[in-house]
Amino acid sequence: MKIKFGLISADSHAQLDRHAFTSRMSKARWGNRIPQVVEVKDDRSGRPVERWTINGKISGYTVSNCPAVMNDRKVKYYPQRWEEVPAKVYEPLERAKALDEDGVDGEVLFPNTPVQNFGFLQGKDSEFELACIQAYNDALAEWREKSARFVPLALIPYLGGIEATVAEVERAVKIGHCGIALLCEPSTLISSVPHINNPCWYPLWELCQAADIPVHIHESGGLASAITFPRWDGFTPNQAHSALTVPTGAFPAEFIPNLIFSGILERFPRLKWVSAETGLGWVNYVLEGCDHEWERRSLWKHGVSTRPSELFRRQIYVNFWFEKTGIAQRDKISPDNIMWESDYPHTASTYPESWKIIEETLQDVSAEEKQKILCDNAKRVYHLE
Amino acid sequence: MDNGPMMISVDDHVQEPANLWTDRLSKNRWGERIPHIERRPDGTERWFVDGRMVQLRGVASAGAVMNDRSAEPQRWAEVPPAAYDPAKRLEAMDTDGIDFSVLYPTVAGVAGEVFGGIKDSELELACVQAYNDWLIEEWAGASERFVPQCIVPLSSVAAAVKEIERCVAKGHRGVVLPAIPMELRELPHINDPRYDTLWAACQDLAVPICFHAGASAQIQLKPYAGFSPAVAAAFEALTRPASTIFIVVNLLLSRILFRFPKLKVVFSESALGWGSYLLEYADYQFEHDQIHLEGYPLKPSELFQRQCFLTGWYDAGSLQNLGLLTTDNILWCANFPLATSTWPDSQKFIERSFAGIAESVRRQILWDNAAKLYKIDKKKKG
Repeated sequence: MKIKFGLISADSHAQLDRHAFTSRMSKARWGNRIPQVVEVKDDRSGRPVERWTINGKISGYTVSNCPAVMNDRKVKYYPQRWEEVPAKVYEPLERAKALDEDGVDGEVLFPNTPVQNFGFLQGKDSEFELACIQAYNDALAEWREKSARFVPLALIPYLGGIEATVAEVERAVKIGHCGIALLCEPSTLISSVPHINNPCWYPLWELCQAADIPVHIHESGGLASAITFPRWDGFTPNQAHSALTVPTGAFPAEFIPNLIFSGILERFPRLKWVSAETGLGWVNYVLEGCDHEWERRSLWKHGVSTRPSELFRRQIYVNFWFEKTGIAQRDKISPDNIMWESDYPHTASTYPESWKIIEETLQDVSAEEKQKILCDNAKRVYHLE
Repeated sequence: MDNGPMMISVDDHVQEPANLWTDRLSKNRWGERIPHIERRPDGTERWFVDGRMVQLRGVASAGAVMNDRSAEPQRWAEVPPAAYDPAKRLEAMDTDGIDFSVLYPTVAGVAGEVFGGIKDSELELACVQAYNDWLIEEWAGASERFVPQCIVPLSSVAAAVKEIERCVAKGHRGVVLPAIPMELRELPHINDPRYDTLWAACQDLAVPICFHAGASAQIQLKPYAGFSPAVAAAFEALTRPASTIFIVVNLLLSRILFRFPKLKVVFSESALGWGSYLLEYADYQFEHDQIHLEGYPLKPSELFQRQCFLTGWYDAGSLQNLGLLTTDNILWCANFPLATSTWPDSQKFIERSFAGIAESVRRQILWDNAAKLYKIDKKKKG
């Protein structure tokens, strides 16, 4: 990647074109089950709108989650028809112009609409799942062919067993993917999938370590349905949105201790994990808390031989976009483990004033540390030299 | 030790003794439904309440006073007396430099949630009252250094209010409540105004509401089935405090604190590490979601600063970078006798946590905040 601005977003969301799946999956075999944009009647207004369907079922409340690039951000408008979706969201070369406009050199790409829970979990049909995943991974890999500014992350299939998962990741790496994005704990969503700590996953970690591609969890990592405060009907939509969004730090704060105690990091000491869109301010809790329990309970006698904070700094990376708390605690986390993210084009995105927000948030940070956090760490983690 | 600075531990647990409920509830009326200890076929003992086994890792939670902190007592005979005997507890506090101790239950649930699940409201009330009376008679009666807090029946808000009034009159100084009571029985959501008489009672009686972490499985990630008991317990000790994040966010959105501006809320066993970040995120997201336009006169951080407390015990980094947490919102504890406890090294932990912190701040967090909240008189130590 050519560095002009000195800024890489370690978490942005790629909107695939409306034909991404229909042009890649066999119509004869999958018919209308293929993910596609169709016209439907809106439940509330009764007006015709467009939605993605997957497996024939409507997915989501918008045709593209991209409020940051719509006219008035305060309104948080989500496009209701494909023609409303700006090309700078789904057309790679147009999107590159938006990066220039925002002073961003490149971006690590997580999924956007219609992907839910980092996959295509539809009943038990592993072949349909794999076909969707392959179409997704193929379509996103083409972004990288068009411009090295895009750093694609592959999605993985869950339903076909670990051999199928490993085979797809091997294939994805060959076509240019730079990491994988997965659910924190897939067994909370699909009971037939083994717990992430289960040794049956080891071949996947082996492969990711050998290929040096990081494993990513993102925001709630699919845990939001397994761990949640009961919804209150008295909240307005805005309050309900805050109620869902603000506790996001609880997910990594509960999941990362599992990762640390799982033995995965010790067994695969060069495997990298990235926690995206979770901020930093919970990390201090995990470091101090895990070390405290490790010491108090002599956990080295119970299979956790390395001090948790050492494991964290050796193998776990975290992203931030706005908060000052985490930056103030950066020495405890280590400035080598922190990467900036823009979250383009979601509602929380710093676009199109990323540098302005960075100047505010990083005002007390030395130039050397800034360089690491804004650019060099991502270059190193994703081999973007 | 009386010459040194004083300390109130705001979160310790009593271990209810084997005969607490069997001595106080009518055997004729309730029979085997009375909370009691049973020996299981493998020789280990567990508590049973109304036919259900209490989900503890042993017959008590006393890791801090066991030889191996990862081994909870499996038989009553193994439980160290400092867990259940007030006189021995005072000695343990002396060893650790703790002057006063605010008490939470164990068998009744860390937030009283075990009895809240009893369908029969008369049995629930009998269990709750027996605990509350016992705590006053056996602990508060033994020493002024113990600060008793009552648990409440959840069968109805009216029953809860009645019990709170009864208990505060008897000397209880805090109200322990599960944050998600509606998961225990058919109840309105905690944010529902039907609870307002409960909040009003606590505000009027000037006793804090205490939401102890770990009372609800639905906000904690389950430990991996393949974890050894030691690692599973350590993992739960991490998800417990983190789960408080959900409770704080809900409370700050609920408007309860707007309706009851003098109500104080303690998040026990919360730890501090996530607090500043959560408040910053809440302020940011509330503005982003334009919630200030929807009748919220204060920012979440301002509301929290006015009425809420987090509790630390090993935390160090947060004291160095308070951010939106203020020294007014922090309490300290030993967490005795849980495995995570700093006992018997609490003073060493405090030295580490407060290194470089002004003496006045240290005194505020270790003494002033809790003394004010629980109306503790230094002279009462005796």
